[in-house]
Amino acid sequence: MVKIKINGKETKVEKGTTILKAAEKLDIKIPTLCYHPLLEPYSACRICMVEIKIGKRNELVTACNTVVENGMEIFTDSERALKARKMNIELLMARAPAAEPVKEIAKELGVEKTRFEIKDPNEKCILCGLCVRTCEQVVGAKAISFIERGADRKVSTPFGEPSEDCIGCAACAYFCPTEAITVEDLDKREVIHDEMILGPNSAIRVPIRQAVPMVPFIDEENCIHFKTGNCKLCEKVCEKEAINHDMEDEEIELEVGTIIIATGFKGFDAKKVPAYGYGRFKNVLTALEFERMVNASGPTGGQIRLADGREPESVGIIHCVGSRDENFNEYCSRVCCMYSLKFAHIIKERTNAEVYNFYIDMRAFGKGYEEFYHKLLEEGVHFIRGRVSEISDVALTPEEEGKLIIRVEDTLVGTVRRIPVDMAILSVGLEPNFGSDEITRMFNLSCSQDAFFLEKHPKLAPVSTAADGIFLAGTCQGPKDIPDTVAQAGAAASEALALADKGKFELEPVTAEINEELCSGCQLCIALCPFSAISYNKEKDISEVNEALCKGCGTCVAACPSGAAMQNHFRDEQIIAEIEGILSV
Amino acid sequence: MPYRAHLMVCAGTGCVSNNSLKIKEALEREIKKRGLENEILVVSTGCNGFCGHGPIMVVQPDGIFYQFLKEEDIPLLVEEHLLKGRPVKRLMYIPPEEKEPIPRMKDIRFFGDQLLVTLRNRGLIDPEKIDDYIARDGYAALAKVLTEMTPEQVIEEIKKSGLRGRGGGGFPTGLKWEFCRKAKGEPKYVICNADEGDPGAFMDRSIIEGDPHAVIEGMTIGAYAIGAKKGFIYVRMEYPLAVERFYIAVQQAKEYGLLGKDILGTGFDFDIEVRRGAGAFVSGEETALIASIEGKLSEPRPRPPYPAEKGLWGKPTNINNVETWANIPVIILRGAKWFSSIGTKTSKGTKVFSLAGKVFNTGLIEVPMGITLRKIIFDIGGGIPNGKKFKAVQTGGPSGGFIPESLLDLPVDYESLTEAGAIMGSGGMVVMDEDNCMVDVAKYFVDFLRNESCGKCTPCREGLPALSKILTDITEGRGKEGDIELLQEICETMRDTALCGLGQTAPNPVLSTIRYFRDEYEAHIKQKKCPARVCRELIRYFIDEEICVKEGHGCDVCRKNCPENAISGELNRAHRINPELCTKCGLCFELCRFNAIKIE
Repeated sequence: MVKIKINGKETKVEKGTTILKAAEKLDIKIPTLCYHPLLEPYSACRICMVEIKIGKRNELVTACNTVVENGMEIFTDSERALKARKMNIELLMARAPAAEPVKEIAKELGVEKTRFEIKDPNEKCILCGLCVRTCEQVVGAKAISFIERGADRKVSTPFGEPSEDCIGCAACAYFCPTEAITVEDLDKREVIHDEMILGPNSAIRVPIRQAVPMVPFIDEENCIHFKTGNCKLCEKVCEKEAINHDMEDEEIELEVGTIIIATGFKGFDAKKVPAYGYGRFKNVLTALEFERMVNASGPTGGQIRLADGREPESVGIIHCVGSRDENFNEYCSRVCCMYSLKFAHIIKERTNAEVYNFYIDMRAFGKGYEEFYHKLLEEGVHFIRGRVSEISDVALTPEEEGKLIIRVEDTLVGTVRRIPVDMAILSVGLEPNFGSDEITRMFNLSCSQDAFFLEKHPKLAPVSTAADGIFLAGTCQGPKDIPDTVAQAGAAASEALALADKGKFELEPVTAEINEELCSGCQLCIALCPFSAISYNKEKDISEVNEALCKGCGTCVAACPSGAAMQNHFRDEQIIAEIEGILSV
Repeated sequence: MPYRAHLMVCAGTGCVSNNSLKIKEALEREIKKRGLENEILVVSTGCNGFCGHGPIMVVQPDGIFYQFLKEEDIPLLVEEHLLKGRPVKRLMYIPPEEKEPIPRMKDIRFFGDQLLVTLRNRGLIDPEKIDDYIARDGYAALAKVLTEMTPEQVIEEIKKSGLRGRGGGGFPTGLKWEFCRKAKGEPKYVICNADEGDPGAFMDRSIIEGDPHAVIEGMTIGAYAIGAKKGFIYVRMEYPLAVERFYIAVQQAKEYGLLGKDILGTGFDFDIEVRRGAGAFVSGEETALIASIEGKLSEPRPRPPYPAEKGLWGKPTNINNVETWANIPVIILRGAKWFSSIGTKTSKGTKVFSLAGKVFNTGLIEVPMGITLRKIIFDIGGGIPNGKKFKAVQTGGPSGGFIPESLLDLPVDYESLTEAGAIMGSGGMVVMDEDNCMVDVAKYFVDFLRNESCGKCTPCREGLPALSKILTDITEGRGKEGDIELLQEICETMRDTALCGLGQTAPNPVLSTIRYFRDEYEAHIKQKKCPARVCRELIRYFIDEEICVKEGHGCDVCRKNCPENAISGELNRAHRINPELCTKCGLCFELCRFNAIKIE
């Protein structure tokens, strides 16, 4: 421990402590500009000057990097220290008059204005180097640095061109104390409602507020550490040392008796309908984005806002985007009508906006749904029957100025109408989830025409698949709303439990078998078997049937070129004999 | 076969740019023509030091000194001196205000009053020949160190000698080595700082160009003492000749087994790599220099940790300046006791200065510490030319301070210079006479430093432009009450709070001129006059009509040549300058043979 005196107060701190940290412990504030606790001290701004006395030494030092020594006397507000601090802040006021932290410190020090020449009244950059050091020490990209010398010094990428080394993490802007750095997306990957950050806003996050378990995870795709190998700031600040960047995804093999497939759906990609302008107009949202906005825990706290922060005066909700459309999906997604009605209701409830619903047919089929639809009609929501042909921002009349114009054929009236709105919500349909193909192959499932998984029988076995012990639940089997999904999931679970509880299942009486002597090992049957019941025995160079998987469909029997595959039960000869017997009568 | 005479032609950068290599060729040609090639040898040497009088040649063994040589002088010189034995008086040095030339170099006061330790081989060896260096006891110190001394003994010897860093800081060299030796971490490095950035200073360049092996030997001894196996020399890119000669020297030393693996069969390994700087003044600061070698932005970082603990690539590093390294072999060879007998109580040995400005003999000099400024300027330097009055001398490069006439008897050592508001620096010395405006000069140096500041820390980056703005205002007649106090306020903050030595010493030109020449500042601010008649906005040209008519008979030269047609008058009549048209170009002043044109 080192004994020191700060402003007359005696204290003991650990060896290697800086003056700044020692003062912090005594609640003595020393102003800083270029210091950041997560970065190496840079001691460039010279604002944290304090006077020290130790032995013969009596000098001003920077508190951020000077390590205390035994017997050191520190004066954070001595006349000499204050004078130096005032002059330096006055010089910085001339450099960056628009920098808020400079103004604040100047105010605290009682410096009202600068006596020096101001070159640019809007300048914010104080050349503290936090951005440059962040990029180097934290990110490890080294995409920016200082260029030029002396008074001409500034932060730049090499040659002032967009840098290839920049990974676009915006950490420089985050660390900038004066908001002198703004981030611009030069790749034009425009973010809808970027100020609301509808997407993930941190590489460490809880997936959703209702997530179980409620723990954050690191999104490797957006984590700086996984791009450059550096950073690990989270590790430094996590006092519990709970963060481990070396953890990897692992494949776990489990032996199970039954499987329920519930891979869900993905929303239709609205960019596939360019006429609706999603991605071009900031105020065209998808249903999920709108859902996020109106969520009380969402970015706007549940308030409905346009990209510029205004409340919309009119909102259009476009049904059947990507559904019931022979260009995309012919099926009805079943849920869009009702969630669109819910949106209309919420908008009416939270704003004074006019709401227009553009629908083809209103499908309010569930319990209480029709009543809800009627309620909305009474609330004054407009319903226009007809498919929207385009959304544009080309105004033809003064009222359309600055609005999104929805062009639609009103089939009830029989004319083409132009409805100007502030916001358009695209009620996107449901599609089979990503990776469905892989799952189809893995479990040998069948798909219906719409690419959702096919159940064993639409009426008699709606949660089963052709393979015993594999069940379906939810939207992977077809679009359905939450009550239907819950009901189907319950059914799948009980079927699976029933089977698991029994511990065994009945084999098909009629299965195929392969005559070892006749089989040439051509493996034709393996490729054809719809139940993956045949495997190849390398040692014997023959194909073998797994009787537990075989459903006795006979495909292999018909295809086997050498006649090695045979169906149990009646043999060909027996059947032919029987036919002949019948015919002979 | 021994030669009758050696013609030592200076091949330092100064003389080379004055065509000394052509002179050497001409000499060789002429000697061959006369059939003297077996009797006389032409040698190109390092910088002679008397650069203001180049190209220079010294004829040995007589020590006859020739200056301002031209190619066309050579045939005569060879014939007269070398053939007929009659030295050519016309090409010899004539001291100021005398008529008779001085034939021998040692009789010229410029040389006579110097004491050569660092520059011991000046003009005596060919820097591109290692044998020349060895013949002058070269590498004997290294052999002694490697075979007879332990590293601790070497450090002790250097400590006892009292040698202090010649780069400007003046830190005791032996102590620095000891810190580095004791610091934990491997490998250790030694660095030679040859990033000489002071305008007009060329001590380091001359040493490397004239005696590169002295630096190599010094560095090798240092490396042995601190336990390093690798060394770097950081040379500015503007010194191509120095770089070239250093490369040659390193190559030769390696061939002789004096550098590289198993030096002199003692098992000690040491190698030197040359790194060229990119031409930034601040790179001479040791932490900035280290950053530059590492390939980073050349800017200083706070100390501690000192390079001795955490230097190049975070390893213990000992960094010394060229002149310091060149002193090491002599100290080892002649002993600490001998070295410490030269100089003052706190500053031992000699110091090389580059003497420039308004002084008769300009060039490179080496003098014992403790010599007075008066002796340097008036004896070695030969005083101020053209009968002008001495005003001030600036020591220590652009961030040095100005010393007035009243302090000319100040002994030159680290402490007394600092006390007087100047610094030793690396050894620049610029003399000013009565024609220099001290405010203008201060502005010049502030502007130089402003352009060379790296811009890392606030006081230096923002303080220098602020100083420059105020000084410009003062020299252009916009000075106001309180300006001097504001200058002082900025300067004090810079001195107290700047990050590195460059920023801390940058206010010296301003502070020392205010300290000793405050009246000049006040004349600029209050009377809007420039006493030295330099600041254009504050002076006025006029014609003394009496002289114009009486002595010049209205010669009309000024009127005819005035580019702005600001002068009116005719032959035999008094002329007049129209102040509204006059741009103060000074042409009429230069042209008037009757001194009728006056400035006020």
